[in-house]
Amino acid sequence: MNKGYLCLVLHGHLPFVRHPEHENFLEEDWLYEAITETYLPLISVFEKLVDDGIDFRITMTLSPTLISMLSDPLLQERYLKHINTLIELSHKEIERTNWQPNFQSLAIMYLNLFCKARETFEKYHRNLVSAFKRFQDLGKLEIITCGATHGYFPLMDVCKESVRAQVKVAANHYESVFGRKPRGIWLPECGYYPGHDEILKEAGIRFFFSDSHGILHGTPRPKYGVFAPVYCKGTGVACFGRDLESSKQVWSSIEGYPGDYNYREFYRDIGFDLEYDYIRPYIHPDGVRINTGIKYYRITGPGNIKEPYNPEWARERAAQHAGNFMFNRQKQIEHLNGFMQKKPILVSPYDAELFGHWWYEGPMWLDYVIRKISCDQDEVRLITPSEYLEENPRNQVIIPSMSSWGWKGYSEMWLQGSNDWVYRHLHAASDRMTELVKSFSNADGLLRRALNQALRELLLAQSSDWAFILGTGTHISYAVRRTKDHLLRFNRLYDDIKSNFIDEEWLSDIEYKDNVFPGIDYRVHQ
Amino acid sequence: MAILRKIKEKLSAITKKSVKKQKEVVGKVTKKTPVSEMKKEIFGEHVTAVEQSKYSHPESHRARRPMPQDLPYQYGKDRIVLMVRDPWWLHTYWEVTGPTYDRLKNDLKDDFYKAKRLLRVYDVTNIIFNGSNAHRHFDVYVSEQTTNWYIDTAGPGRSWCVDYGLLLPDGRFITIVRSNTVGTPIDGPSWITDEEWMIPEEMFARLYGMGFGLGQSSPVGKAWQERVKQALFSGVLASPGMASMASPVKKGEKERKFWFVLDCELIVYGATEPDAKVTVQGKEIKLRPDGSFTLRYALPDGKQVIPVKAVSSDEVEERTITPIVSRETKSTNLAKEFSKEI
Repeated sequence: MNKGYLCLVLHGHLPFVRHPEHENFLEEDWLYEAITETYLPLISVFEKLVDDGIDFRITMTLSPTLISMLSDPLLQERYLKHINTLIELSHKEIERTNWQPNFQSLAIMYLNLFCKARETFEKYHRNLVSAFKRFQDLGKLEIITCGATHGYFPLMDVCKESVRAQVKVAANHYESVFGRKPRGIWLPECGYYPGHDEILKEAGIRFFFSDSHGILHGTPRPKYGVFAPVYCKGTGVACFGRDLESSKQVWSSIEGYPGDYNYREFYRDIGFDLEYDYIRPYIHPDGVRINTGIKYYRITGPGNIKEPYNPEWARERAAQHAGNFMFNRQKQIEHLNGFMQKKPILVSPYDAELFGHWWYEGPMWLDYVIRKISCDQDEVRLITPSEYLEENPRNQVIIPSMSSWGWKGYSEMWLQGSNDWVYRHLHAASDRMTELVKSFSNADGLLRRALNQALRELLLAQSSDWAFILGTGTHISYAVRRTKDHLLRFNRLYDDIKSNFIDEEWLSDIEYKDNVFPGIDYRVHQ
Repeated sequence: MAILRKIKEKLSAITKKSVKKQKEVVGKVTKKTPVSEMKKEIFGEHVTAVEQSKYSHPESHRARRPMPQDLPYQYGKDRIVLMVRDPWWLHTYWEVTGPTYDRLKNDLKDDFYKAKRLLRVYDVTNIIFNGSNAHRHFDVYVSEQTTNWYIDTAGPGRSWCVDYGLLLPDGRFITIVRSNTVGTPIDGPSWITDEEWMIPEEMFARLYGMGFGLGQSSPVGKAWQERVKQALFSGVLASPGMASMASPVKKGEKERKFWFVLDCELIVYGATEPDAKVTVQGKEIKLRPDGSFTLRYALPDGKQVIPVKAVSSDEVEERTITPIVSRETKSTNLAKEFSKEI
């Protein structure tokens, strides 16, 4: 009989970076890299677990923009091209490293990895959403939704219509993909503002997650801290709080597992290391060096000198870390079980892209964690939030505190000198959208298309990723451009609609470019 | 000052004019935003004849509406918006339109120019604010050009509302725009407990500490609170945000900007009959359609003996060429100390 639960949450999200207008677009690589390095390896891990009869539970966000890109034929086609190029490059690498056995074995490892990626990709008919859906249907995975375009809700509170649109578009999109309503949501950036649970409830969503202080600083005090979910006062929507101890072991840039010296070094990529003419066909067509995904070194130590990667050592370390992780959860749960009247739940959320993309051994680690928990002990059981709520329907009622899981725990990452200018425009656009919905409560034909597109543009402008990039200070120009482009398109649609003068040719063009959420209904923005 | 005022008057006049114009031309093609109109008058930019003829063209006007190049400077609405950054800080931005200022100028006459612009921040915790029943307020003076501000409330767990307005010489405050009301979160555990779900203080302290990943010890007092804040605010546990942008895995920092790496590669190339069989170090390689080939190797230190053998398709002729290459790497690392003598 288990004494408590572990709820692993992988938050899978990428902003909508589809650019049909260019043959090669740098930012689309974010998607391709994540497919090769994160989503496909995770799918392989889940497949093997199912084949081996290992029971497991994982909760995973697939953000609506990510789902849209994964199911987009143009991007699927381009991914195939991308992976074929990598296969070609790894063949060349095997030849080039002929006199360096250390590196050649790694080149072979990459060739195998890329070929396997292509095979799995084709096996699911290029649509990885169907792979994740399969594990959901098997009861192993609980897929939750997110804000439609990952808008940061706390800074949208002044126009709740937009929060509602973010939630409703996401919920409807989820339903169209998975054939049922989402039970849970990952609030973008874990950003909660009191009262938004009302909007979640309207959409039929039963639970969300907050960072630890969202619950610990809630009112009244949570009796079980973050180790049991609470219901939001007035709505009964459940809120699960992040357990920072388990988070720290994986996340922490100082003491976390991914920094182990035997793990693969992310920042040494042949895209930057090799001779220019040789690598030229595999980097950006403009000639800018970029990551290819072929990385030959291990972290080695704090300095710049790096040793070749040794997959065996890394595998061993991943197994050790998985054991350590499980042991710590056992201890934690044993301790908590002593003074709680119900079985504690430890919620450990991570960005999905941490596994595989940043932390190459992450999927392997996850595989070990799941197998060990399933086979080696009885105290801890993996669980999804839905299952937990079914088992534990009685929970304390509180008002969680505003919070996010970003830097400093609140909104500063998305609201600082470098990005505060966007809100004036975003809020004005939200107001205008509300105004349009009020004026045209039942539009059809061209007008309806324009109104739907206006909402798409507004949603795309709201993506928290742009403000985040502006906040970090790197790759700014793309984030500025995306924010402005969507707002400018929105403003022009607004003017066109107001003046009853819709330029169909132009509308078709932006419908083609920003083709997210084909089934959108502008009336959700109210 | 006078010049500034003049420009402003002109601007507001233009805005008014263009607003009026806009009304007249609703539905017509030549509609312009007030801002672009403004720019044109100020910078003396004129619509060219070509453009004019374009706009008057009855058929193709649909594609002619210009795509705006930049976001509007203003949206033509009096508005102030308040947002919460964290338990202590608010952010506000506002817009006041020309006509509103004109009205104020009319009403206040000279007092308008003597007035100070300020943000009046009201603590409206647990009350329905009617403009005069705030618990307290404090003022932040801002310049005329300012349109946004970060406000240090020093008051977690309170509700706030902000007015942007004018402080007249006689001490009267005139609200121009009033914000929405927001609540700052508390920065520690709530002092309110729920009878039904009561928990002893000491036990909550343990849960609280554990919730922040501080192990199972029972931290007490201020030191404990500080540790919690540190854990929360160090950024160590923050989400890396957009997953493709930031890694939780630390990047090794370069000590100095100067750096140097050197590697050697060897290119072996040749040609033979297109249908011949060629092996390099015993491994068969693929020839290009014209019979040529190029091989590229990372060249490690040491000696490489590279026999390249070609065999004719009928296996009658065979030739071998063997380059022998050796690489020896030496390196020196000299860092000069330099003094900052002038």
